[in-house]
Amino acid sequence: MAKKYGMIHDNNLCIGCQACSIACRSENLIPESVYRLQVWVKEEEYPNGTLGYEYHRQSCVQCENTPCVSVCPTKASHITEEGIVLVDVDLCVGCLYCVAACPYQARYVHPVTKAPDKCTFCHDTRLARGEEPACVTVCPTDALIFGDLNDPKSKINQALSTRVTYREKEKLGTNPKMFIVPNHKGGINS
Amino acid sequence: MNQIWGSMEQYNTVVWHWPIAVYLFLAGLSAGAIISAIVIKWMKGNDVSPWDGIIKAGAILAPVTIGAGLLLLITDLTRPLHFWKLLIHYNFGSVMTLGVLALFAYFPVVILFFMGVFKKELFETGALKFLAPLADLALAYAKLIESITLILAVGVGAYTGFLLSAMNSYPLFNTPVLPALFLVSGISAGISANLVVGLLFFNSSTKDGNVSYLHGLDVKVSFVELFFLFILFVGMFYQGGAAAHVAKMALSTGGLSSLLWVGVIGLGLIVPIGLNFALPHGVKHSHGFVIFNSLIVLVGVMSLRYYILYAGQIFVG
Repeated sequence: MAKKYGMIHDNNLCIGCQACSIACRSENLIPESVYRLQVWVKEEEYPNGTLGYEYHRQSCVQCENTPCVSVCPTKASHITEEGIVLVDVDLCVGCLYCVAACPYQARYVHPVTKAPDKCTFCHDTRLARGEEPACVTVCPTDALIFGDLNDPKSKINQALSTRVTYREKEKLGTNPKMFIVPNHKGGINS
Repeated sequence: MNQIWGSMEQYNTVVWHWPIAVYLFLAGLSAGAIISAIVIKWMKGNDVSPWDGIIKAGAILAPVTIGAGLLLLITDLTRPLHFWKLLIHYNFGSVMTLGVLALFAYFPVVILFFMGVFKKELFETGALKFLAPLADLALAYAKLIESITLILAVGVGAYTGFLLSAMNSYPLFNTPVLPALFLVSGISAGISANLVVGLLFFNSSTKDGNVSYLHGLDVKVSFVELFFLFILFVGMFYQGGAAAHVAKMALSTGGLSSLLWVGVIGLGLIVPIGLNFALPHGVKHSHGFVIFNSLIVLVGVMSLRYYILYAGQIFVG
């Protein structure tokens, strides 16, 4: 069976250090002013008055039912057998239908090619060399887990069996392969 | 949520800008112009040359507006020199591909319609004489070509709505009524444009009966459009959650909601409908009033496209 790549972002382990974002830029030579990946932060006040942080990984969630691929008129946006959504720049006319159709704001227009660009799980670079995506490798707290969802013994499937996860905007039926472990630590007294 | 590091510029932006709104308007207008021209042509007494001014107007407007709209659309691509790839690579699940295919068929038939209508003026003598056989063909198979054109025109008018409603990233787009709303407002725009061009440029050949008929039809279509707008927002409120929130914002926030209430609903629908009932028969059927009425309807339909495109992308819940 082909591999099916997925990722977990554990909100309890993430410290918002931005190492993943920088590693992504460095590995994938992302031009200034655009981002494949950012980590956002939200201050939370819990019902008992204590405070905490919620983190959000802002990037492609690698949908199985991909709005961006469905709307693309030339099949420039496509999904590989391994479940990674990519853009074939050569086929792209720049209609930006995929950018608009993505419910996760994962895509931006690359300033040089003028075609939409996005997270590829480092498909052409690190994955091709048998390595994990740059963000996963560099994460100092192991908040990111990457692996093959079709392999019952993979690290990601072990984690999915022991941690409670959800996926963003699940009701849209996009079936993302980006899983989130919600914050369950609650607030901290100041 | 806030970023910790980096620019937020690429997020929460409008992806499709005003040229797309103008294209959506022109595509709807083109479809509406050819539909109303064919409706007039199929009426008793109108089915032989010399053609009524309305038919001439539609024959010109349909190809010109769709051509201008497509040019605008191509120049708006971020990679315009690659546009030809749209013509040879297809994704049958994409509304854009289906639109390209519909236009592939629609463009030739509206040009054939034009050639048939203007055979005497353009193709019997002069430089374009070599195209006369094609114009003859258009006239010989007029009924068949027009029947196919009607179906394709409905496709072109509605597809612009499906283009937006296919995206579940925007609650205001992702509604089943949008293609119907765009089709009826496009028909309204086509009728109005035909009346303006027919009365201004082909006044001598435009029959008053046809003008009254189309003007009356436009009022009825405006009622349908108003009802579809009502269905759109009520439906969103009934969905609850993000859709209800978006509907509330889109109806009440900033310049865009003013554009809806003043431009789309006020100027474009209520005023024309109201004047039609309030004015005496003589004024209502004067050419000056019909032209004025048609122009404000056109402004209203353009405002609707602009409003839907921007409000849909700005208010996302």
